[in-house]
Amino acid sequence: MFGLTWLSALARRRRGPLAATAAGVAVAVALLASIGTFVSSSKATMTRRAVAGVAVDWQVEAQNGSDPAAVLDTVRAFPGVRTALPVGFAATTGLEATTGGTTQTTGPGFVLGLPDSYRTAFPGELRDLAGAGTGVLLAQQTAANLHAAPGDTVTVGRAGLPPVSLRVDGVVELPEADSLFQKVGAPAGAQPQAPPDNVLLVPEARWHELFDPLAAPRPDLVHTQIHTALVRTLPGDPAAAYAAISGRARNLEVRLAGAGLVGDNLAATLAAARSDALYAQVLFVFLGLPGAVLAGLLTASVAAAGAGRRRREQALLRARGAATGRLVRLGLLEAGAVGVAGAVAGLALAVAVGRLAFGTAGFGATPLAAAGWAGGAALVGLAIAMATVAWPAVRDARTVTVVAGRQQVGRARAPRWARAGLDLWLLGASALVFWLTSRGGYQLVLAPEGVPSISVSYWAFAGPAFLWAGAGLMAWRIADLAVHRGRRLLAAVIRPVAGPLSGTVAASLARQRRILSRAVVLVGLTASFAASTATFNATYRHQAEVDARLSNGADVTVTESPGTVVGPGAAAALARVPGVAAVEPVQHRFAYVGADLQDLYGVRPSTIVGATSLQDAYFAGGTARTLIGRLAAQPDAVLVSAETVKDFQLHPGDAITLRLQDGRTHAFRDVRFHYAGVAKEFPTAPKDSFLVANADYVARATGSDAVGAFLVDTGHASPAAVAQRVRAVVGTQATVADIVTSRRLVGSSLTAVDLAGLTRVELGFALLLAAAATGLVLALGLAERRRTFAIASALGATPRQLGGFVWAEAAVVTVGGLLAGTVGGWALSHMLVKVLTGVFDPPPAALSVPWGYLTVLAGVALVAAGAAAAGAVRATRRPAMALIRDL
Amino acid sequence: MSGDRPRDDALVGRRGVGTGTGTGTDSAGPAPHHDVLVRAVGVARTFGKGRAAVVAVHGVSGEIRAGARLALTGPSGSGKSTLLHLLAGLDEPTVGTITWPALGERHQLRPGPVAMVFQGSSLLPPLDVAENVALPLLLAGGSPPDADAAARRALDRLGLADLAAKLPEELSGGQAQRVAVARALAGRPRLILADEPTGQLDHRTAAVVVDALLETADALGAALVVATHDPRVADRLAARWSMTDGRLVVPDGSLSCSA
Repeated sequence: MFGLTWLSALARRRRGPLAATAAGVAVAVALLASIGTFVSSSKATMTRRAVAGVAVDWQVEAQNGSDPAAVLDTVRAFPGVRTALPVGFAATTGLEATTGGTTQTTGPGFVLGLPDSYRTAFPGELRDLAGAGTGVLLAQQTAANLHAAPGDTVTVGRAGLPPVSLRVDGVVELPEADSLFQKVGAPAGAQPQAPPDNVLLVPEARWHELFDPLAAPRPDLVHTQIHTALVRTLPGDPAAAYAAISGRARNLEVRLAGAGLVGDNLAATLAAARSDALYAQVLFVFLGLPGAVLAGLLTASVAAAGAGRRRREQALLRARGAATGRLVRLGLLEAGAVGVAGAVAGLALAVAVGRLAFGTAGFGATPLAAAGWAGGAALVGLAIAMATVAWPAVRDARTVTVVAGRQQVGRARAPRWARAGLDLWLLGASALVFWLTSRGGYQLVLAPEGVPSISVSYWAFAGPAFLWAGAGLMAWRIADLAVHRGRRLLAAVIRPVAGPLSGTVAASLARQRRILSRAVVLVGLTASFAASTATFNATYRHQAEVDARLSNGADVTVTESPGTVVGPGAAAALARVPGVAAVEPVQHRFAYVGADLQDLYGVRPSTIVGATSLQDAYFAGGTARTLIGRLAAQPDAVLVSAETVKDFQLHPGDAITLRLQDGRTHAFRDVRFHYAGVAKEFPTAPKDSFLVANADYVARATGSDAVGAFLVDTGHASPAAVAQRVRAVVGTQATVADIVTSRRLVGSSLTAVDLAGLTRVELGFALLLAAAATGLVLALGLAERRRTFAIASALGATPRQLGGFVWAEAAVVTVGGLLAGTVGGWALSHMLVKVLTGVFDPPPAALSVPWGYLTVLAGVALVAAGAAAAGAVRATRRPAMALIRDL
Repeated sequence: MSGDRPRDDALVGRRGVGTGTGTGTDSAGPAPHHDVLVRAVGVARTFGKGRAAVVAVHGVSGEIRAGARLALTGPSGSGKSTLLHLLAGLDEPTVGTITWPALGERHQLRPGPVAMVFQGSSLLPPLDVAENVALPLLLAGGSPPDADAAARRALDRLGLADLAAKLPEELSGGQAQRVAVARALAGRPRLILADEPTGQLDHRTAAVVVDALLETADALGAALVVATHDPRVADRLAARWSMTDGRLVVPDGSLSCSA
C-alpha cells in the first residue's frame, strides 16, 4: 500500500525525471524491436526476392532406362507440386541456315521440345525478341550466329540420321539459360556448366517426331526433364526455406527410386539467400546493438541525475524508521514502473518506425518471431530499468552513507578500471582479435554449398566491440587528464565565453571532471556509433553500386553476339539514341596464356572512363589512373590477373606472348605484349583470370577491330528507358542490359542485402541518441547544478557571468565529445569495413564518407547542446526563490 | 555584542500600516540620506496566487542605517528570511517599495555593498575555499590576482588560511560558515545580511561564527543584520526586531534604535 502511495507521489512530483528515464528505456526497446522488424522483414524479403527470380523450381531429369511418363506421373503426384511438364532435350550435331546468299553453320547444340502450355506455366524461361512466340524458336545468340530471322529455314543435324529443315517462327532470349542447361546431379562444388551457344526450341509433338528415332540408337543424346512449379508456401527465413525445399527434393528423389534426379533451382537460389540473411543478422549485431547499449548508458545517465534526490529521500525514510528491505522494494517498484512504461512506449514507437521504414507494423515475419522480438526488446528495457534505477537504489540503500552521497566533486582517486588500465587492455585485445580475424580472411559467414547448416564467426565481433568500449574509456581518461592537468590551457580556451572568470570556471570544470568526462564519453560514443554506422552504410551503398556497375559494365551495355563482326564505328549509331551521353567500344577476344584460355579485353585507355567508372579496387600495384595510364603510354602493355603473375612469375616490363585468333585467317598467332600491371576486376569481365590491353594494338595484331560490347553512359537519363531505345536500334543482333535490371539480378551477391530500411532506422536513432546524449545529458548536468548557479546569482553574478559557466561546460562536453567521436568513428569505420569485408563485392578501396549526414549529426549535437545551455542560462536569470530560500 | 563596537549609526523601524501593532512614529526623526542603507515602505511579499496564496511579509516599513547591529528574531516561518531577501535585493516586494539610498540601485548591491551569509552551505562545491572567497570580487570585476590576494587576507583575518585549498565538502559545518563569513568580508560590504547563520551548528560553533560576523562587521564598519531564532545569538546584537506571522514587531513601541 505504501508502495503505491510512494509511486503515486513520484508520478506527481517527479514526473519529468521519471519520464526522461522511461524515454531512455523506450529508445532502447524501440531500437531493438525496430531492428528485429528489419531482420525479420528483410529475411522474408530475401526469400521472396530469391524465389521470384526462379523460372523453374525443379528440373527433374529422367535417368537413362527409366520411363519419362512414369517419372512425370510421380512428380505430378508429389505433394505441393503445382505444375509439372515434360521437356525434351536432344543434342544436334549442328545447325545451318542460308540467308542473303551465304550459308552459316554452327557447331553442336541442343533442340528442346516444349509442351504448348510451357510458356504459360514457366513465363520466366523465355522472352520474345522477334516473330511469333510459339512454333519453332531460335535462341537469340543462335539466330545471330546463323544470321537467321523469323521466316528463314534452319537445317538441324541429327547424329546418324538425315538432317531436317524447319521454318523459324520466332527469336527468343533464354534469360535462365544457366539453370536450364545445368548438369542435373552434378556433385556439390562442381564448376557450373556453360550453356550451349546453339539452341533451337520446337513444339513437343514435333520434337518427338524428330528425335524419338534417335533415342533408341543414341540414348546418350536424348533425355527428358520434368519442369516443375511448386506451391510456394515457404518459411520467411531463407535458411528455413532452403532446408524445407531441399528436404522435399530429396524426398522426391527417394520416391523416384533412381528413376530421376532433381535439379533444385529453388534451393540453389535460397542457398545464396541464406548466407545473405545471416549477414543481415551479422549487420544487426554490428550496427544495432551499440545503439541499444548507448540507449542503456543514456538511461543510466538520466537515472544518475536523480541519484542525489533518491539518496536524500532514502535518508528521510530511514530517519523515519524505514528498513533497508522497504527501501530496496521501493527502488524495485520505481524501476518496474519506469521499465514497463518505457517498454510499452518503446514498442509503440517501434510500430510507428516499422510502418514508416519498412511498411510493416509487426515485429517479425511470423507471429512467433514477432512475439520473440517484442518480448525480447521489452525484457531488455526492463533489464535496463533495473540496472539503472533499481540497482543504484538497492546499492545506496545497503551501503552508501549520507556523507558519501553528498560528494559530487573532489579529489577521488581514479576509478579502479583506470588504475588497472582497462582501456589499454581493451584496445590491445581489439587489435589482437582484429589481427586474428584478418588472418582468417574475414570469413564471418560460412555457408558450405549443399550443407544445410550455416555458421557465423561471432568471435570477430569482439574486435569492434573492444575498440568501441576501449575508445570510450580512453576518451574518459584523456578528457579527465586534459581538464585536470590542462587547466591553464582550458582557461585560455574558454576565455571568450567566460571572460575574467575563465580561471574560476576552468577550476570549477576541473573539479567536476568526472561528471564532464562521463558526458564527453557518452557524446563521443554516440557520435562514433552514428559516424561509423553512417560511413559503413555509405560504403555499403557505394559498393553495391560498384558491384552492379562491374557486373553490367556501365549504365547500359550492348553485348554483340559471338560470331558477329561489328566495328567501333557502330558506336556512332548508339550515340544518337536519345539519353545516351557517351559510348565506348570494348573488344572481347580469347587469348591463350600458355595453355590457359583467358578473356582479353581491348580498351581505349584515353576514353574508357567516359562511359564507365574504374575503381582503384579493380587493380593492384597502383591506382586505376596509374595503370590505365601505363596502357596509354605503351601500346603493347597488358594488364593481367594476379594468378597469372604468380603462375608465370611475371615482373613489370616482362615480355609476354599471347596467342590470339587472327580475324582474317581465324588461326591463332603469337602476339607479343609487355606486362604492365594487375587487374583484379574489370567491367563485364569474369571473376577468374582475364587480360586488358590496348584496343588499337589488338586490332593491328589480329587484323580485326571487332567490338565485343559497347559501354553506354546514360548521364542523368534512366538506364532502363535508354536500354529500351537501344534495343529498338540493335534488334536481335546484340543483347542489351541495363544497370537497374543488373542491380536486381545481383541477387546472389551479398550486397543484395537491402540495408535501406536498417539505414533509415539506424541513422534516425543515431541522430536521436546524439541529440539526447548532448542535449539531455548536458541539461540534466546543468540542472543538477541549479543550486550552484543560484548561489552565484545570490552573490551577484550577472546572467552573462553565469552564462560563462554554462557555455564553457557545454563547449567542453560538446567539442570534447565530438572530437572523441570523430577519432573513434574513424577507427571504428575502418575496422567495421575490414571485418565485414565479406559483405562487400568488390572490397572498397576507400571508405565512402557521408559528409552530409555527418554535418547534420554535428549540427544536431550542437543545436541540442546549444538548446540545453540556453535553457540553463535562461533558468539562471530567474533563480528559483525556492532554491535561494534553501540556501 | 561587544561593547566597543561603533554605535554612531541608528536602526529605525516603522510599523507598517495595518499590521495591527499600533501606528507608531519615527522617534529618531529623518535620517541623513547618506546614512540610510535600506528603507522599506509598506513592503509585503505574497507567494502563490488565489486561495493558495501565502503572505510571508505584511506591510513592513523601516530603515537600516550604517553601522547597525540588528537581530531579526522570530519563530520559523515568521517571514525573517523573506524580509532579509527583500532587504538584500534578492527578491522584490509584491506591495510597497524598498530603496537603498546610500548604496545605489538594486542591481548595484551584489556583489559590492551588500553581502549575504546563508543558513546552509552556500559555498560553490567545485571551487576551493580561496576561490569561493574570491568569487564575489571577481564577479564585481576585480582582477584574478587582486581577488586572490583579498580572499587570502580575509581568510587570514578569520584564521582560516589553512583551509584555503580545501574543497567545501572537506569542511565541517562551522568551518563552511566561517568561510562564508570570510567571503562576505572579502568584498568589503557596507551591509551584511546573515540568514540563520548558526541554524545548523552546535552552540560552541555557533558562537565562533557569530564572533566572526561581529568582528567582520566591526573591521569593515558595516551594518549587520542577523536573522535568527536563537536568543543567545540575538542577545549579542544591539537591537532586535521581532517578526510574527510576517509582521514586524518593534519592542517598546520604539521604531528606532540609534548608536
